[in-house]
Amino acid sequence: MSDDTAATNGRFKKPVKVVIDGREITAEAGHPLLQVALDNGIEIPHYCYHPKLSIDGSCRMCQVKIEKAPKLAIACNTPVADGMVVDTTCDEVAFARKGVMELLLINHPLDCPICDQAGECYLQDYSFGYGSQESRTSSPRRKGLKRHPIGERVIFDQERCILCRRCVRFTKEISKTDELRVFGIGDKSHIATTSERPLDNDYSINTADICPVGALLSRDFHHKRRVWFLQEHESVCPSCSNGCNVKLGIFRNEIQRMVPRRNDAVNDTWMCDHGRLNYHSAQDETRVRTPLVRADAHAAPGANGSGADVKYAATLDAALEAAAEKLRGAVSAHGGNAIGVLGSPHLTNEDLFRLVQLAQALGTANLDMIVPVGPSDDFLIKPEKAANAAGARALGVTPGDGGRDAQAILDAAKSGELRVLVIVGSEDAARVLGGDGIKDAVAKLDALIVVDANRSALTDAATVVLPGLVWAEKDGTFTNHAGRVQRIRQAMDAPEGIAPQGALFARLAALVARGAAPSAYDAGATLREIAAAVPAFAGIGFDTLGSSGLELQEPGAASAAEAAAPAQA
Amino acid sequence: MAVGVIKVDRVSLKKAGGFMGINAMLKGLTVTGRHFFRNLFGWIVGKPQVFTVMFPEQDIAKPPSFRGMPVLVQMDSGKERCVACGLCEWACPVDCITIDPGETEDAIERYPRVFDIDMGRCMYCGLCEEACPEEAIVMSSRIEISAFSRAGTIWHKSDLLTPVDELPRRLDYVRRGYQR
Repeated sequence: MSDDTAATNGRFKKPVKVVIDGREITAEAGHPLLQVALDNGIEIPHYCYHPKLSIDGSCRMCQVKIEKAPKLAIACNTPVADGMVVDTTCDEVAFARKGVMELLLINHPLDCPICDQAGECYLQDYSFGYGSQESRTSSPRRKGLKRHPIGERVIFDQERCILCRRCVRFTKEISKTDELRVFGIGDKSHIATTSERPLDNDYSINTADICPVGALLSRDFHHKRRVWFLQEHESVCPSCSNGCNVKLGIFRNEIQRMVPRRNDAVNDTWMCDHGRLNYHSAQDETRVRTPLVRADAHAAPGANGSGADVKYAATLDAALEAAAEKLRGAVSAHGGNAIGVLGSPHLTNEDLFRLVQLAQALGTANLDMIVPVGPSDDFLIKPEKAANAAGARALGVTPGDGGRDAQAILDAAKSGELRVLVIVGSEDAARVLGGDGIKDAVAKLDALIVVDANRSALTDAATVVLPGLVWAEKDGTFTNHAGRVQRIRQAMDAPEGIAPQGALFARLAALVARGAAPSAYDAGATLREIAAAVPAFAGIGFDTLGSSGLELQEPGAASAAEAAAPAQA
Repeated sequence: MAVGVIKVDRVSLKKAGGFMGINAMLKGLTVTGRHFFRNLFGWIVGKPQVFTVMFPEQDIAKPPSFRGMPVLVQMDSGKERCVACGLCEWACPVDCITIDPGETEDAIERYPRVFDIDMGRCMYCGLCEEACPEEAIVMSSRIEISAFSRAGTIWHKSDLLTPVDELPRRLDYVRRGYQR
């Protein structure tokens, strides 16, 4: 989309030269003066202008002096033209800004101590930078709704609103749900929902992000933590295959909030509410915190019913050795194809690459994954509810020659055709199998090895459980539905003694082959290996990805790699 | 090696303090003894002349500018004035303040669910008081922090709450000092 615009601009719009504060700047004709200034590092204060919304011109804060113009002009609604000479710092502009600030603050409650926006509030910043330190009014401030639940996930504070209409334009242009409007005129104008319909669209919390003041607030983050205590980490939302770019706000090793990060190729500056609130799953109570080995691991699972439910915590080395022993036994007695491996589209490319290598070391063609599917729309929400399904396909987490697919692997486990089943990311598999299915499978299998960060019905039934990390605890890359590889960064400290899944797969493969222990797992080095081994990933590395990611080599790399996968396996 | 040796003329003990330093010793004992007998006499006649304050039975009157332990101002309603804005936590140079904000149904919206000050770490600088926009944390005249364990030096919200009636002088001083 953005490429089209760029191409059009290149074809039809010629570059112009403007002078802003004495600096000569080359820009494309027709671009807003404000955006040109911001792109070149010249600050012009503004409230209502947003690069992804239409221009409103309601706040009057971005007034600048343009030579030969009769009066000050708002920079947001002035297209740049050749030979324009702009002054953003002269006394006239400063006086105008001061006046705008004074008017905006006449009715502002100044309840910064209890306002969640404090610390990232345009009104605070500009009041400090351009406003007057004293108030000249003595009349009481206008009263309005406080803490009004304008929607299920958004809270509205009418007194703080400066009527910039960003939220109104958002619901009109981006979410296209049209819930918010400005009602009343003059002193009585206020934002409200149309006909008492709550602000409940799938993207509603974005209005809290774009609100320049604390009028619209996320209920999830309401009175939770001051923003200046948050450490921000760039990452990617793991909730669907769109891969919206996000920033994680971390405080005391806990995710406090997730906010979208601008990436014009993926999500502009938006993200859906579901994805935004889904970070809670990264730190819930069901985490597996120690490796577990079934007490009777040396007998067949389910062989002695009574003690079978007892599991003992083990060291990681012991758990890996127990798993490797089961795998080696199955390979030597029944061949590699007696083992099934179910990958997970929630893992990073680096983890999955090591999983594919593990399957190769085992000599099994039974490698596949279960991709959860859910509702989607035509904007950001994609049907595949996992971050890295495309990456998994590109890396060959698909059945090899004569191998079984995910359903067949589970069926074969239930019918006893498989001896050992390795399941990574057990929640989806547990759902597909169902309670009885798990019982059947466990009764027939020699061993069930589960690698997962969270507990599920399958980890409860497993012979060996190897705990993994969640996405916010590791470095790596996700590949989104369009084949864009994007970097995720470790935002939280990993729980003690728990290694990333990729490291577990690498060590397991070495143990099965009785080879030397692999060198310490490093996501960056693994990605370099992927780039060398998988043609679609050529040229992709942590150093080249940047903050907005890179696309896989072939367009539609996912399907191309799917075709190439059997040759690999 | 060409290391020079410098000979120092030591002042002899005899010169400095007489034989075996007895002169110097006597000088000190004279001062001590003078005070001892003067105080003893004062005590006998009922007019002790000691400067020592018999803490903790006695205390001195502290001026409002005295910076003792920071405490939370408790309003007449029994609730704290603090709204957990976090500015003191941010201003604190030794990171001794821990606040966990919560939401209340009151008009004020926010309150500190947890407000802990590690008094073992506090350095009584008063920056929290200066940062506070609500006059909710002030330096009191309290100075006793002794406890049997490290954990005991952490004061929780219930320990910190001090009725506003006990702090008028300091609050006045703060308002004057910061031109509020």
